Amino acid sequence: MGESCVPEHTPGPIPFDHALHGDSIGLDCAACHTGARASANAYMPSKADCMDCHRLPLTENPGIETLDSVLAKADDRPWSHKRILPEHVVFHHGVHAAAGVACSDCHGSNHMQNRYGGEKFDMQSCLKCHRGETFKEKGFKPAATYCAACHR
Amino acid sequence: MGMDRREFIKSCSLVAVMGLLFGCRKSAVLGDIASQLSVPELKRFEDEVKLAMSQAKKSLDLVKVPTPGALKIPGASTLNRFGMAIDLDACDGCGKCILACNLENNVPLVPEEDAARGRFMHWVDMRGGAPFMCAHCGNAPCERVCPTGAANHTPDGLSAMMYKRCTGSRFCGANCPVQARKFNFNDAQKLGLARQFNREVPLRDKGVMEKCSLCLHRLQNDRLEFKTSLTVGTAAEEWRGRGVKTACAEACPKNAIVFGNWLDDKSPLVQLTKNRVLYAPCELAALDPSVVFMRGRR
Repeated sequence: MGESCVPEHTPGPIPFDHALHGDSIGLDCAACHTGARASANAYMPSKADCMDCHRLPLTENPGIETLDSVLAKADDRPWSHKRILPEHVVFHHGVHAAAGVACSDCHGSNHMQNRYGGEKFDMQSCLKCHRGETFKEKGFKPAATYCAACHR
Repeated sequence: MGMDRREFIKSCSLVAVMGLLFGCRKSAVLGDIASQLSVPELKRFEDEVKLAMSQAKKSLDLVKVPTPGALKIPGASTLNRFGMAIDLDACDGCGKCILACNLENNVPLVPEEDAARGRFMHWVDMRGGAPFMCAHCGNAPCERVCPTGAANHTPDGLSAMMYKRCTGSRFCGANCPVQARKFNFNDAQKLGLARQFNREVPLRDKGVMEKCSLCLHRLQNDRLEFKTSLTVGTAAEEWRGRGVKTACAEACPKNAIVFGNWLDDKSPLVQLTKNRVLYAPCELAALDPSVVFMRGRR
């Protein structure tokens, strides 16, 4: 199969800087990507989620005016996320987070930096980590490798 | 009358164009209905179950078996071995379990000529007036002959099927002494005989073997949820699959189907089978079945 199993990232209409939100003000990924730690899917934030904070003038940065005007025009759901996993494969985002895998281990520390596979992601990538061959320095416990653990 | 030849032709062509447009709309609507018709109605599934019930085998030869213990296969879990016990004293053979299973696992309908010969895809059959399904044998003869490893055992005692690995050799079906496996001879999706009632279970393609999965998706979803809710680093309690029920067990009005974990003393399966005599079909008794029948008290 030629298609990638990892969702594609399309640049959204709002100029969003991950470094400005996560690294400098210490926001947890799951604050915007709800479900990333607790459920099967991690979701993209809606405009309402942005507005929770951006309703108030937060910084002196002159860019904030541009942002306000873009936000006013944006759709309710400025970003979309399409899961391209085949129907017979189960990937539970939350269980990986709960096992101690940090977001940045797979996604990189910056936006669009898929450290773990990206386009080339396939079942071998799953298996290598589940067998404990990758991320040796992290000391993750080897995980289930029997077929029915992930396949239906 | 103020209509000249020019006006007349104009109005005629207008009517023709309107008619064409309307015609187009109408055929588009009909097309939609046709595509909806290719998904069978629930009624057809209910009728097929009734037909299967009327053709059910009357006899079932049972022999006594001991309580299933830990699996003897390499890599097996010492904590979990899932299975079921069917209470023959409580079951009245209503067949609600069959329909519940079909809807839960998206079991396809069969064409009429197959139905007339009793060749249904149902994972649960009626035999001897009680539901009968794959026994998830600890020493499964079907798995031993699979050339691709599509039929394999999970550490938790389920005889699982990996549909995408199945090449349709049908060796497993031939080696199952009780014909618990069903083969997709037809392309049910193309024939409009399949319907996905449950998104958790994928539809099977033509040329793929299928059978009772002991509601594997329910167990695995519960396991994932359990592991997600654990906090990292604490000496955690282990997952025992408590609270999970198969679709057939849930649907049984007499609670005659008991699902649980043979290795967990708190499981309803262990508690309700404690003082009962356990039976298995005579063909399976030596194969360490996980799904057994119970009758009478000890």
